[in-house]
Formats: sequence, C-alpha cells, structure tokens
Amino acid sequence: MRFRGAASLLLTGSLLLGCNASTGSAAPPPSAPVGGAVITAQNTAFDRGQLAVPAGRPFQLLFENREGAPHNVTIYDDGGKTLFVGETFGGPGSRTYEVPAIPAGTHKFRCDVHPQMSGIVTAG
Amino acid sequence: MATLQMATRAHPRLGSYASRAVVVGFTLATAAIHTSLGGMMFLANAVGYTTLALAMVAPGPIGQIRWLVRLALMGFTAMTIGGWLLFGARFPLAYLDKAIEVALIAVLAFELWRTDGGPIGVARKAQRLLGRLAGLRTARTPR
Repeated sequence: MRFRGAASLLLTGSLLLGCNASTGSAAPPPSAPVGGAVITAQNTAFDRGQLAVPAGRPFQLLFENREGAPHNVTIYDDGGKTLFVGETFGGPGSRTYEVPAIPAGTHKFRCDVHPQMSGIVTAG
Repeated sequence: MATLQMATRAHPRLGSYASRAVVVGFTLATAAIHTSLGGMMFLANAVGYTTLALAMVAPGPIGQIRWLVRLALMGFTAMTIGGWLLFGARFPLAYLDKAIEVALIAVLAFELWRTDGGPIGVARKAQRLLGRLAGLRTARTPR
C-alpha cells in the first residue's frame, strides 16, 4: 500500500515537473518586420507552412514561441545544407533572427527540436 | 561517486538505498525534461524513463530481477543519448539533459558492479534467468 502511494507520487511528480507552460492563447500573430517575415509556434506546430522572404539580402525573421516547449527556426537548402540556424528557446517569448542573405528559390525550414514542424521558404 | 563509495563501505544497506535514490532522481529528472519538450516522441521517452524509475523501486518479483531493470535503464539511456547525438538539437537544456543521462549511466554502472557483481555476475544472472525460462517452457510443452 505504501509502495502504491510512493509510485503514484513519483509518476505524478515526474509528469507535473515536466508539464509545458503552454499558454494556449489565441492572440493574433505579431506583425512582420519591414522586408522580413514572421512565424509563430504553438502546440508543437508552426502557424504556417510557407514563408516568403527576400532573396539575396539579409532580412529579419520574427519568431514567436507561444509555449513552454523549446523551438527554433532553421533554414536548409534542397541539398540539406544549413543556411541559417535560429536560437532555440522556450516560451512564451520571441526572438528577431537576423538571417543572412539566402539564394532565390525554394528552401525548407523546420524546428530542430521537433523536425516534424517544417515548411517551405520561398526566397524571391 | 566518491561519496557513494564511502557511504557503501560505511553502511552497505544505506549505500544501496542512496545510490538507488540517485538513480531514481536522475531518471525522473530526465523524464521531466523530456516531457517539457512537447511532442509524442519526447513524451514516449518520458513514459519509458518513468516506468523504469518505478521498476527501480518496485518490490516483489521485479525486485528479484532488479539487475535486469538496471541493464534496461542503462540501455534505454544509452539509446537516448545516441539518438540525440545523431538527430538531436543542440541547445542548453539538451546539454543539461545529456549530462544527467551520462551521470545516470555512471551511477548505474557503479550499482551494477557493486550489487550485481559486474559483467560476469550479470552474465551469470542472465544465464540463470534464461535457464529458468527454458525450464518453464519445457514444463509447459505437452509430451
């Protein structure tokens, strides 16, 4: 009996300690920096599957993480070469990434912690 | 580790409880970190760690195969570290988690050595268990 109590305490403690600080808010997406782009992460998903960014010149990417789980935005070219790696951080919070110039065309973006969170970057 | 060794020499039973408490603490800590990462894969990993932490303190029949639980936890932790090395993201919380997992493997190896008689002792226990299982199968097979 004593063991059962200790066991349930262990399980509950572990899960409670690890609970996400998910905000669950339905706030409108932040506005994109001039000439840049914006993206939001919530419920282990990005709010969009496509990002339009300028090609051939640096730009700002505003990334808002609305939950406790850590996320980032990384941009890869078609060959899998990394073009940009954004800082990984737990939310709620936001970062304005300074992205260097990337070539025109379509590339991929994803969260490095959760690779299933991914999409297409169109640079043009 | 040195503290654990000293505690073990002074009070064998106390040392055993202390090292097991450290194992359970580290296991639950890494389970909590994995839960905080969100997503099904990390949650499944956290459930695995929590289950093994419970098996580390469970009495009765599981207590008799604690060496196997220790071995399973070592393997599970090593696989988690391997998965991170191959595919994982590099960020501060991940490094902290890997440090906990490496320390967990070290304490488990210490326990395995002290309690289970090292690799040879574990091999003997595995042989005994397999022999018992084979005996059960033979007894159940109709003639």
